[in-house]
Amino acid sequence: MHIERFRRACVALVSLSLVSLGLSAPAAAGIVGTADAVAAVQRQEHRAAVQSVLARADVREQLVGLGVDPAEVDARIAALTDVEVATLATRLEGAPAGGDALAVIGIVFVVLMILEFTGVIDIFKKA
Amino acid sequence: MIRRALPAAALLAGLSGCAASPPLAAGLSPQAPRSIELSATPFFPQQEYQCGPAALAMLLHASGVGIEPQALTPQVFIPGRLGSLQAELIGATRRHGRLPYALATTADELIAELAEGRPVLVLQNLRAARWPKWHYAVLIGYDAGRNVALLRSGTKERLEMRWQRFAGTWHRAGRWAFTTLEPGVIPLHAEASRYVEAVAGLEAAGQLRAAATSYDAAIARWPAQAHAWLGRGNVAHAEGDLPAAADAWLRTILLEPSDPAARNNLAQVLADSHCVAESRRQVERAVALAQGTALAGAVEETRAKILAMPPSAESCQLEGRVWPD
Repeated sequence: MHIERFRRACVALVSLSLVSLGLSAPAAAGIVGTADAVAAVQRQEHRAAVQSVLARADVREQLVGLGVDPAEVDARIAALTDVEVATLATRLEGAPAGGDALAVIGIVFVVLMILEFTGVIDIFKKA
Repeated sequence: MIRRALPAAALLAGLSGCAASPPLAAGLSPQAPRSIELSATPFFPQQEYQCGPAALAMLLHASGVGIEPQALTPQVFIPGRLGSLQAELIGATRRHGRLPYALATTADELIAELAEGRPVLVLQNLRAARWPKWHYAVLIGYDAGRNVALLRSGTKERLEMRWQRFAGTWHRAGRWAFTTLEPGVIPLHAEASRYVEAVAGLEAAGQLRAAATSYDAAIARWPAQAHAWLGRGNVAHAEGDLPAAADAWLRTILLEPSDPAARNNLAQVLADSHCVAESRRQVERAVALAQGTALAGAVEETRAKILAMPPSAESCQLEGRVWPD
């Protein structure tokens, strides 16, 4: 937990320094992008410019932590809207990551699952 | 007792693939073809954990972008998750100049896209809701007579899956699906707002030409869609065509007089074009309109910047237009 807090503090610091250097805004100065305008109308969660920069730095750091090549990560994040980045920043760890086609279910596992769901055992608690 | 028994029953139903979805023929609209197979869709067998890049490459190929899965891997794969995120498949589609169009959560829309000749990328959960196994596959057709979905999936070039089982795996993955559109192509069944939102994503990703073509198509089909004009103005502005940007935003305001984004952007382009007095008038209107919305902060920043600008010796370059009240 301390490491997590330290990580977030680092992200915040680095991001704020980026903001002060003016290296951030994806849209032209003074122009509201269509994606932000649409989001505002839909009352989706919207981040102001500084928060959007924070969210992008946060997602960047999470992706690099998960093994994404630092040389690729900026172009990947630049392809996302502010709303998409904000969503990922809070939910990246739990978001579905499609990977494999194999879905072998062992009979033992099925039995365990049934016992779990009927409350006989309790071993698959999610954190 | 019933409370405990229900989830167990639901689980068994989910595992055996007989969730509540009906057979295909029962849900098929009368106009829909009885069977479709987009057999020209290319096939890339997936490498381990690489169903995201493989599925996306098939879709991009089908929409005219010749890219191999290996080239997409560094754009979407996350080693620490052994998979790819939905948002990043969307982002990578934009990077290749194609419009990712999110489909509604109904099988009707999957079928409508197939009927227009476009394969559909779907997310599946191949196991139970509480123990997910996420997988991307490409839906290339169906056969109502035999009650099957036809997929390019994993290492299988042509996978026939019983329709209810397919619908169950799709349902357990949140019924998420999208198609890739060439700029300017709009599905017959498209909704204006959803299409324009998709184009806004292209704009945000910096794909200005693709976004411009798509906004133009949206304006041709839905001339009264205010955000299509807003977006057209944004692209024109980003490409440096200030008069075209001003005209597009004027049109936005005609259609939607209370839109704070269009007012804000109009004020900015007026300032950029040395129309100082009108710029200040419009930005005050923008501030008033943005009050209480998510754009309040951004508009306030524009106002501060415009008020801080030194007086310009040059004359206004946007003469001959009627500015809105």
